[in-house]
Amino acid sequence: MAMQIEKSFQVKEPIEQVWSLLSDPRRVATCVPGAKITEQVDEKTYKGTISVKVGPSATDYKGELEIVRLDAENHEIEILGKGQDVRGRGSASMKMTGKLRSLEDGGTEVTNVSEVNVVGILAQMGSRVISEVSNIMFRQFIKNFQAQLQQPADADAAEAKPINAASLAWAAAKGAFHHES
Amino acid sequence: MICRTSPEIGGMGHSIKRKEDLRFIQGKGNYVDDVQLPDMVYGHMVRSPYAHARLKSVNTEKARQLPGVLAVITGEDLAKANLAWMPTLFFDKQMVLATGKVLFQSQEVAFVVAEDQYVAADAAELVEVEYEELPVLVDPHKALDADAPILREDREQKSNHIFHWEVGDRAATDKVFEDAEVKAKVHAVFQRCHPAPLETCGCVADHNSATGRLTIYLTSQAPHAHRTLFAIVGGIPENNIRVISPDIGGGFGNKVPIYPGYVCAVVASLTLGRPVKWIESRSENLQSTGFARDYHMTAELAATQDGKIQAMRVKTLADHGAFNAAAQPTKFPAGLFSICTGAYDYPTAFCEVDGVYTNKAPGGIAYRCSFRVTEAAYLIERAVDVLAQELKTDPVELRRKNFIPPEKFPYKSPLGWSYDSGDYDAAMKVALDTIGYDALRKEQQEKRSRGELMGIGISSFVEVVGAGPAHTFDIAGIKMFDSCEIRVHPTGKAMCRMGTKSQGQGHETTYAQIVAQELGIPAADVTVEEGDTDTAPYGLGTYASRSTPVSGAATAMAARKIREKAKKIAAHLLECSEEDLDWEPGKFFVKGAPSKAKTIQDIAFAAYTNMPEGMEAGLEAVDYYDPPNLTFPFGTYICVVDIDKGTGEIKVRRFVAVDDCGNIINPMIVEGQIHGGLTEGLAIAFMQQIDYDENGNVQGGSFMDYLLPTAVETPHWETGKTCTPSPHHPFGAKGVGESPNVGSPAAFVNAVVDALSHLGVKHIDMPIAPWKVWNILKEKGMVA
Repeated sequence: MAMQIEKSFQVKEPIEQVWSLLSDPRRVATCVPGAKITEQVDEKTYKGTISVKVGPSATDYKGELEIVRLDAENHEIEILGKGQDVRGRGSASMKMTGKLRSLEDGGTEVTNVSEVNVVGILAQMGSRVISEVSNIMFRQFIKNFQAQLQQPADADAAEAKPINAASLAWAAAKGAFHHES
Repeated sequence: MICRTSPEIGGMGHSIKRKEDLRFIQGKGNYVDDVQLPDMVYGHMVRSPYAHARLKSVNTEKARQLPGVLAVITGEDLAKANLAWMPTLFFDKQMVLATGKVLFQSQEVAFVVAEDQYVAADAAELVEVEYEELPVLVDPHKALDADAPILREDREQKSNHIFHWEVGDRAATDKVFEDAEVKAKVHAVFQRCHPAPLETCGCVADHNSATGRLTIYLTSQAPHAHRTLFAIVGGIPENNIRVISPDIGGGFGNKVPIYPGYVCAVVASLTLGRPVKWIESRSENLQSTGFARDYHMTAELAATQDGKIQAMRVKTLADHGAFNAAAQPTKFPAGLFSICTGAYDYPTAFCEVDGVYTNKAPGGIAYRCSFRVTEAAYLIERAVDVLAQELKTDPVELRRKNFIPPEKFPYKSPLGWSYDSGDYDAAMKVALDTIGYDALRKEQQEKRSRGELMGIGISSFVEVVGAGPAHTFDIAGIKMFDSCEIRVHPTGKAMCRMGTKSQGQGHETTYAQIVAQELGIPAADVTVEEGDTDTAPYGLGTYASRSTPVSGAATAMAARKIREKAKKIAAHLLECSEEDLDWEPGKFFVKGAPSKAKTIQDIAFAAYTNMPEGMEAGLEAVDYYDPPNLTFPFGTYICVVDIDKGTGEIKVRRFVAVDDCGNIINPMIVEGQIHGGLTEGLAIAFMQQIDYDENGNVQGGSFMDYLLPTAVETPHWETGKTCTPSPHHPFGAKGVGESPNVGSPAAFVNAVVDALSHLGVKHIDMPIAPWKVWNILKEKGMVA
């Protein structure tokens, strides 16, 4: 099941500070709920895991993250990630493009376009559930990202907790009915 | 005419209450999942999340270590016993557990056996499978493209093409179309749907190593055929196999094939020496067991300007999924689809069907239908409506102008069927009168002038059911006869054993009524037993509306054999010659002296206590009935819908179903069958589809997405009937269980299209959900 998800949000930090976070996959990963970078393979390639739980269905993706494009001048990054569930329940791949823009007030706008493709048990739940799950994960990501911006770049990266399974399912269900975005 | 028995006897035509319901409504049925055996253990299936992937490794180590786990079986394990593949019912084979690669999402990959079902499910989570994803083929129209991935590497033919089948005169048909004054064409997809029976599939396999006997409690519509297939495939002597189909909670064709779970349970029981139970979950049932339809059809009709149909041309692409597991007679790769010329009289037709593989669950089963008859009836009834639109004529008028007239029966159809009997206009008349057709058309005109949307849909379907005859019809080589054995006990009560198997059709009542009609033994005194291969005579089972046409006929024939013997005994008791005796249900009496009589009960007692010299004791008979032809039930259904312009929601305001299934055994059961089938038809027309996304992920794999109608969605059904007996059936019956599912989808769709026809709409594919209608209204500028 393929989906394109486009989101943007604003932070008060200046563009270079935001860029130093966005262009460091190790630090960005700490903002993604349930994600962890386990190994750096080379300059552009990382290995990692991400856990997604929706109701009774728990998926632990294990895979690779590749920085396809890193354009410091234009503040754009393109990342390709793909992983398989460790128990063989399916796979997911994502092409994410992140872009920064300076705002007049000195802050920064972060725009994120993700093309996500999910195969397997999770994909059976249909886009109405998956897109709600992505929404919740993204809201969590923004919170973590903003918190990360407050941290000095060399601070110990604490791992973001995977979202509680029951609360995620409930929030997704609520979202499906209330059309929160 | 069928003579009317007293209510005490309860023969044909009496609406006696269903005997089986006493236990069902008290929760005392005995289904496969109710079977509990000492030392029983439980199986759970590990399934593929991918629609197409190379299987790189299956690691069962962690699963085996979980306390309570007894065995984990993989495809490689089965391959050692030459059981990794099994034959399907249609000249193909299917993986039991995957080896090499997987071909559809939810395909069976490993089978875990544990002390209880929870441990088994937990252990299934611990089986680690490594896959390498392969390109997925979902769209059947792309199956034959040069760049399509070849799905079946096991086949010699490196193509996704399964079969090409054609019938009729292509050249003559093309000629008629070249010269035709008017042509109509419709491309209609009968979507992939699923019978979704109340009870999912499952089994308990119990191999007794001491006796060497294997007992399989099985959700089977065809227990004898399954016993034979287990013997042939598994190499187990057939006398050592006993298949028991206990109470079955709905089949609708879904319980005709043999599924991998059954084979795995049998292998596990043989290995462990303990009974193994395996019961599917709802999602497993929807995602992996026999689906129905998935026919992508184009129909064309050629006609004269004044509305006389001259020819039909049909081209169809059939999506069979990963394996051709269609359960149909071996000479008919597209089932009985060639009934698609319908109720109309024209001499020329041509029909071709191509079957292809895709990365979807295998199947192509006959969902409440006699092998692709539903697809055929839907297609012709849609096409006739499109022709009526082309001709700007009333769809009722067009149908009546083209109906095969009653005097033309038996009617030879252009695609080779010999219709046994029919009076299509009679059924049409009853339907029109009941619904008040002319007034409805007037109302529609008025509403249209006010911008309101209302539609009337007609479907005048013809079915072909009751296979045999044996010279043409077989399942996996076994001829499609069917059987009945009747034993009359000394006290005049009787036991009836059948080759068929009820899944809710009410056989325990209807067969008893046939015996009551033929012998005069009260239906209440006749016990009907089915489903145990150790006791029942061999038969092909219940599907394709064949129980009444074939086993029902066998019941009458067996009863008549008993009546012949009873007559001899009566003559002996009354000290007269057989020629002097007359019969009325329940007794023989001396012609002209009705008081000199012997009841069937007197005769039964004498059969064991005072038989004539030289006569064998007992009063029993068995009959294996091979029907001389199929039967052709028919009817006219009319549906009225109102459409909400704001939401696209369709409300079925009225639905009149006039059925002609020949002579009726139990009117109440017939009506119940019609209500059930119409409700299923409603679901197919408006709610149901097993859909797949571009990666082959099932999008209709649970009741969240695959909707079942409840009392809220279901309209009030109005039923009516005409009676045109089958001339070749022993008591003139035709079979009815499937008619409402076969005939109704076209009526629903025709009604919706009719509501929108003034906007230029000619066809909408099922399921017609409100969003589809709303999009059309938006496109046509009816809503902002």
